[in-house]
Amino acid sequence: MENKGQVGVQPHLEMGPLDDGAMHDHDDECLYSSEMDAQKTNPIHSNQPVLFPDLPVGGNKMTRNGVYRSIKTVVFSNKLNLLMPFGPLAIMVHKMSASNGWVFFLSLLGITPLAERLGYATEQLAFFTGPTVGGLLNATFGNATELIISIYALKSGMTRVVQLSLLGSILSNMLLVLGWAFFCGGLVHYGKEQVFSKATAVVNSGLLLMAVMGLLFPAVLHYTHTERQVGKSELALSRFSSCIMLLAYVAYLVFQLKSQKDTYVPVGEEGSLNGENDDDDDEAPEISKWESVIWLAIMTAWISILSDYLVDTIQGASDAWNVPIAFISVILLPIIGNAAEHASAIMFAMKDKLDISLGVAIGSSTQISMFGIPFCVVIGWIMGQEMDLNFQLFETATLFITVIVVAFFLQEGTSNYFKGLMLILCYLIVAASFFVHEDPSAADQSKQPKT
Amino acid sequence: MDHKQQVGVQSHVEQMGSVADSSMLDLDDECLDSPGTEAGKTQIPISGQQLPFSDGFPVGGNKMIRNGFYGSIKTVVFSNKLNLLMPFGPLAILVHKLTASNGWVFFLSLLGITPLAERLGYATEQLAFFTGPTVGGLLNATFGNATEMIISIYALKSGMTRVVQLSLLGSILSNMLLVLGCAFFCGGLVHNRKEQVFNKATAVVNSGLLLMAVMGLLFPAVLHYTHTERQVGKSELALSRFSSCIMLVAYAAYLFFQLRSQNDLYSPIDEEGSHHGEGSDNDEDEAPEISKWESVIWLTILTAWISILSDYLVDTIQGASEAWDLSIAFISVILLPIIGNAAEHASAIMFAMKDKLDISLGVAIGSSTQISMFGIPFCVVIGWMMGREMDLNFQLFETATLFITVIVVAFFLQEGTSNYFKGLMLILCYLIVAASFFAHEDPTTTDQSKQPKT
Repeated sequence: MENKGQVGVQPHLEMGPLDDGAMHDHDDECLYSSEMDAQKTNPIHSNQPVLFPDLPVGGNKMTRNGVYRSIKTVVFSNKLNLLMPFGPLAIMVHKMSASNGWVFFLSLLGITPLAERLGYATEQLAFFTGPTVGGLLNATFGNATELIISIYALKSGMTRVVQLSLLGSILSNMLLVLGWAFFCGGLVHYGKEQVFSKATAVVNSGLLLMAVMGLLFPAVLHYTHTERQVGKSELALSRFSSCIMLLAYVAYLVFQLKSQKDTYVPVGEEGSLNGENDDDDDEAPEISKWESVIWLAIMTAWISILSDYLVDTIQGASDAWNVPIAFISVILLPIIGNAAEHASAIMFAMKDKLDISLGVAIGSSTQISMFGIPFCVVIGWIMGQEMDLNFQLFETATLFITVIVVAFFLQEGTSNYFKGLMLILCYLIVAASFFVHEDPSAADQSKQPKT
Repeated sequence: MDHKQQVGVQSHVEQMGSVADSSMLDLDDECLDSPGTEAGKTQIPISGQQLPFSDGFPVGGNKMIRNGFYGSIKTVVFSNKLNLLMPFGPLAILVHKLTASNGWVFFLSLLGITPLAERLGYATEQLAFFTGPTVGGLLNATFGNATEMIISIYALKSGMTRVVQLSLLGSILSNMLLVLGCAFFCGGLVHNRKEQVFNKATAVVNSGLLLMAVMGLLFPAVLHYTHTERQVGKSELALSRFSSCIMLVAYAAYLFFQLRSQNDLYSPIDEEGSHHGEGSDNDEDEAPEISKWESVIWLTILTAWISILSDYLVDTIQGASEAWDLSIAFISVILLPIIGNAAEHASAIMFAMKDKLDISLGVAIGSSTQISMFGIPFCVVIGWMMGREMDLNFQLFETATLFITVIVVAFFLQEGTSNYFKGLMLILCYLIVAASFFAHEDPTTTDQSKQPKT
């Protein structure tokens, strides 16, 4: 099995170094070539250098990165990072004008590269922490961006936006990302059918179905008007179900890690994994452990700031562009936010590494549905916000039919361009439905003061 | 793989024609020249169909092409016992003109359409021999359910959009449950010792398409029933039209995909019928029986006749519903498809009994896929052009029925094997569906009156 797949749950973030390599030269060059790129992009983050004079030496070949080298490696090594200036730009625009639409759009663009770099930092850190903690890290931070945005939305009391954006993330991963991966992979490898690990796909489908079950009961309870205590029952049920779903997710992680433990070797002092496998990923970590942690913290902080603006301006953007909030949350936000995952899944499919693409797409969906959503319910519980699992009938039905269609398509274990095209067309139908869908609860949900 | 399956999409018509003939005659491999003896049994020449066919037909090059006028009629009209029902067509018109008995007219038109539908399939298949695999496949894919489409278009013209939805839905349900169930059941009984197998890949692709069709139907219905449209009434229609275009694109991609993956296996027909010996282990007559121009002309004649009878059918459905005290929903969903599809039904069972389950599956599930991914969206688009408000919102009851049926059938098919028990299960499921529709009062059809034709 691919080495990449062995870092715990197949998250979408293991793409980091391959992305860089792919975006530059499509080969195995070391990232030092990024120095040439560094001269093309302006030194933007002038306010960033934290003073790192005496980094503890991790023992790897590149650990004595000074501050500038660290910035080069992390910040300037990815073309996607050209979007980084949009973050500060969004803040400026917000302070100078009242144009919510623009602030929303610029924040979204600004978050995209940060999300990708966050994934990169997580993956780098995972090299140092061994398989177990590494797997957990990937499993938790895999969708950190969506979770951060959701937590800010929760704080503002916009529980409907949380539900819709998480739902949209699941839908776009399952249909759009997977569909594009199958389609492009199928076109490139025209003669044969690509295969992927059926067992993993089936386990993920099972988990998604369980998530649908968890979401279905509160919704059905509400819509058949059969709660014992109107309003309170669904919330209690949602909270209980969320705990169960989190438990299931933990069990899934344990199961994954246990069944892969013996095949994974942690990073040795001299990067002993480098020669192990024949794939073109750069297996050695590129930045030291402490750098990873610090960059992780920096990225998270930046993402939090931009998420704050994002959530503040979503209502304004909806008014400015005359699209319903539901459409923005479900369709636009995930597509743009997930752009990096999308690109990497397609790339892996074209290299005939469908298992990794599947890990990116379906693994991410599973993570959000079995961890992200219940986690937000629990966080909401702690904050005192009434976030529940009742996603309203339309959204629940959408998720239900989508999961069934995708589970069906995956059960064979093969893929071709036709299946990919089907999934993409299904996504278009879903997107069109949300375009004409007026969500009653989002329309009148005003932003409450932050607590 | 069967030669028959290589003509593009496994439509339900390509396999029926010649085998239905031979089976209805002798259940063996005789050439169809023997219908000369049958011709003496039936007495009623279809006098309205005389076209001045001179003998100057372009020669197709095959052994039986030089059919004269009477030879052509013999081959096409008199070679099938089902054609005994043909007189009912003109009879229905007579009854309509003489009496006001809508119930009888409806029934007779229905009986009259049945043989015409079968012959239309036969003519399509004959034509497909001449046009090569690609166009042949497209022909089969489009005309495969021409009868249902013609009936639907007439209903659309009359503004009876609900009847269109219900009859197409009924066609899908009867193909998926009843036809498939009977085929599995009879095949399983005959081949008692072993489990019959069929091509799992094809079944899975078709199930996937059916699920996608359900998705396309589900969203407008859910949108409507959760009262969450942005513009009540207009949103579902817009969404339905958009989804229909998407579904048509998907169907076109499916045809493309099918034809691409089979192109190398199929060789078009040569001047001397060089592939006669190729598919020699099956007992169909691979050679075309009528020439290319005859096929086209018969195709046109049959289509015209079916159109005429469909007109009467649609006109009298309301009256029949009142006369027999059955809901229009029941007639559209259950009765119309069963009788209309009788020929397909018989041939699917026959193929299953001959252990050629792939063809049966092509008949049954292929037909369902065709109607759901092509027929229904096509009607929405035709309705759009005509100015009719046909949408994909089939109302909650019908959508739920389709949803659960597709899931059940997809589940039954995923193994790739069949036995009489599975067949029995499918038939019993159909009985449950039929009973549900018997007890179901469709709110929209009871007050949908027939609007004047435009």
